[in-house]
Amino acid sequence: MSKIKFDRRDFIKASAASLFLAGVPIAGYTKDRPPGNIAVILLEGGMDGLTAVPPIGDPDLLRMRASMTPTDYLTLNPFFGLHPSLANYAALMARNEATVIHATSFPYTKRSHFEGQNLMEGGGLSPFAEKTGWLGRALELANLPGRALSLDMPLILRGHNDNDNFFPASIRKSKRPNANLVDMIAMSHQGDVGNLFHKVAKKSANKVNIPRDATSLAKYAGQEMSRADGPVASVIRVKRFDTHANQVADDGKDTHGNHAIQLAIVDDVIAAYREGLGDAWQDTIILTLTEFGRTVAANGTRGTDHGYGSAGLLAGGSITSSRVIADWPGLRKQDQYEERDLMATIDYRSICAACIERSLGLDHDKIASEIFFDSQLPRLYDYVFS
Amino acid sequence: MNESFRIAQKLGLMFKPSDPLPKDMQAWAISQLHAPSPALGQPHKFATIAPWPDHLQPNLKKRAHMWRLYRENKKKERERKDGQDTQVAKEANRRNNLMRDKDELKFAQRNVYGDDQLRLRFAAFWANHFTIGNTFDTSSMIGHAIDEAIIANLNGDFANMLYLVTTHPGMLTYLDNVWSAGERSPHTKRCRKRPDCQAGLNDNLGRELLELHTLSPAAGYTEADIRNAAMVLSGWGMDFGASTQDMLERAKTTNHWQAFKPRYAEPGLKKVFGKTIYAGKNGLKQLTDYLAGNEYTIRFISTKLCQHFVSDKPKRTDIAYISEAWRQSNGQLDVIHTAVIERAIASDEAKFIWPMTWLFQVIRLSEATFFKGWEDIYNYDDDIMNTQKIFAELGQSFWSSRQPDGYSSKKEEWLSAEMLERRIRFADAIYNIGRVKHSTTKIMDRMGANETTRRLVASADSRRHKFIALMCSPELMGLSYV
Repeated sequence: MSKIKFDRRDFIKASAASLFLAGVPIAGYTKDRPPGNIAVILLEGGMDGLTAVPPIGDPDLLRMRASMTPTDYLTLNPFFGLHPSLANYAALMARNEATVIHATSFPYTKRSHFEGQNLMEGGGLSPFAEKTGWLGRALELANLPGRALSLDMPLILRGHNDNDNFFPASIRKSKRPNANLVDMIAMSHQGDVGNLFHKVAKKSANKVNIPRDATSLAKYAGQEMSRADGPVASVIRVKRFDTHANQVADDGKDTHGNHAIQLAIVDDVIAAYREGLGDAWQDTIILTLTEFGRTVAANGTRGTDHGYGSAGLLAGGSITSSRVIADWPGLRKQDQYEERDLMATIDYRSICAACIERSLGLDHDKIASEIFFDSQLPRLYDYVFS
Repeated sequence: MNESFRIAQKLGLMFKPSDPLPKDMQAWAISQLHAPSPALGQPHKFATIAPWPDHLQPNLKKRAHMWRLYRENKKKERERKDGQDTQVAKEANRRNNLMRDKDELKFAQRNVYGDDQLRLRFAAFWANHFTIGNTFDTSSMIGHAIDEAIIANLNGDFANMLYLVTTHPGMLTYLDNVWSAGERSPHTKRCRKRPDCQAGLNDNLGRELLELHTLSPAAGYTEADIRNAAMVLSGWGMDFGASTQDMLERAKTTNHWQAFKPRYAEPGLKKVFGKTIYAGKNGLKQLTDYLAGNEYTIRFISTKLCQHFVSDKPKRTDIAYISEAWRQSNGQLDVIHTAVIERAIASDEAKFIWPMTWLFQVIRLSEATFFKGWEDIYNYDDDIMNTQKIFAELGQSFWSSRQPDGYSSKKEEWLSAEMLERRIRFADAIYNIGRVKHSTTKIMDRMGANETTRRLVASADSRRHKFIALMCSPELMGLSYV
């Protein structure tokens, strides 16, 4: 463990990477910028931001959660480390192509997976308020297509007719559906279902055989996004972040704790996106999204329970300067949300909004009012992309 | 569709061409709640239907024993002992000691061949309401929970089912309760004298018990209620691989369904959502009984039942009817299910059919064969896919590693181009290998297919395409009756 100990005041003075949310939202129009790509990695279950990006300079980290903090973290700066599973991500940070947002969350404090996931995808003012998702609405406004790499259509992408999904099929003794037949089936169905069957008819012309793991899907998604007529947005799920038990390994070298395994998948997914995107990486922003963070203290089963603040991982050529963006709340009992969770001091919707603005060229005020239905949503674009 | 088939689609698994059609559908549907319910299946494909053999349905004790053997062999495999690291031994260990493949095939077969179609639909509803996801550690217990905690108790009351599911080792393992210990329990106090101690509360099951299994967030319970529920649950459950001696020492029983470890339990009174719960093993029954009868629970689950069987957007009057049956009967499932049947029959709305339910219905309507025989589980078949693979491709399985909220009954969660393509592909595969016994004309005539369906089928240019068109019609997907 690092010998350097900062208190919160020292940290804020010392770290140019930190952020104070005191600024007035800056008006800005980016309409003329050519659109880039946006990829969202959904981390289902609630990622522990304090495990992914441990605040090693916070003197309370070890006091509050010694058993949850491995010793072999990577050092980002005197205050923040990075979980050893995120080695590729660390290299991207060194190249100024990745930025961490810490102590952040969607404005949801009630700790239900299902309400939280609905809110982080729907992007409305309360869980289950919206039938469409924030990325779907953004693509509708930009009139650009997106694609989910899943069998279902996740809520986050609903709301734009040109969005579709892809997941490899392997059903023995069935042939590729005949387009005429599928069109006839489509015509017999009403509304949305008919439209979806028409998409099946179009799609069945080109068969893609790739494995179903998130990494292979990310590489494929990157390749598709790099095509001139491909989607500009994609969504991939990584599950099993709900580590109530055995979150970290017990030997101090955290390679096989449940969070370590999932973080390594996220690291691979980002690397695979980069590989698939090729040159299009330069105009791409990838961001993670999780429904909430976890308790600061470990529970009784070498894990953590549902909490509030977490961290977001951003990567892509759209980033020009790597940072850890945080208004660090501290980890003492009185600093915690309800004396148990990491406090969230940055509204992650502002980060999503900045990524939409950067990749789809939409104006912040429009994003705030028409996508997140909150015209007061602060604009944090310049903290992320300047 | 005529009334018989409309009701069988909404509430059951469809009539096979060889099934006689009941004269009074409502009376038949209600009588189905008490239909004899053996798990029927086939030893080999195309063989005669027979009850699933006993030796493939081990009890909980035997399953725990097999799980211990599996773990011991895996340990030997890592240590390269006793030849356990050979491919043959590894495969034998999996086949002999894990239950998932057998349980999932049994579930599929009984749904295809069972004469208890309504019971099976209600069983699927509850198995989904009380989701036990596959964490691998739970894989040998999911099937047992469905059979013994749910199907065996479909004619009892909800409170009893709630208690039996909550205390089932599958649930206690899935939501981490087997490792939870009260903060002030003797075990935790003693453990914390050591520097490397890991002991204390895990609130996972306590939270989902309130959020998903009973009250729902609409009740407005607090974080303290969740924590107190977790304290009531502390002490319940033993690792499925625990030795007999360990079971006897810590829980004074060798029955995993009764395993309560007093030294891990939080002492003292707890208060959950206004109810005072006493310490000790009986506290949990006190809690689940209280939650089972709570008005929020009644409204939440009545709404879910409506969404599953009546309409995606249930009417207040339908929900009120089912809730009232629940209140009047103190949660008797027969009465509640009868109310659901009545409302589903009274509604002329189409109800979206889950992918797995649709698959069973397609197979039954055409009397096809699509699953392996139980004697052939581990034999390669040129035509028939492994059961696990079928459900994975379909995107729905009770043995998948799903989230504890289970599958949605709403159609918007299931509508995507990929999902719809799977319907076409499976209809195709069933036609190609299933030895479909009946023509689309015969199926349509018997079910009274509507004009849209008939026109669609007429426009298809081959028997194969006609079959696919029929099975993917709005009518047979439960999307529209016009």
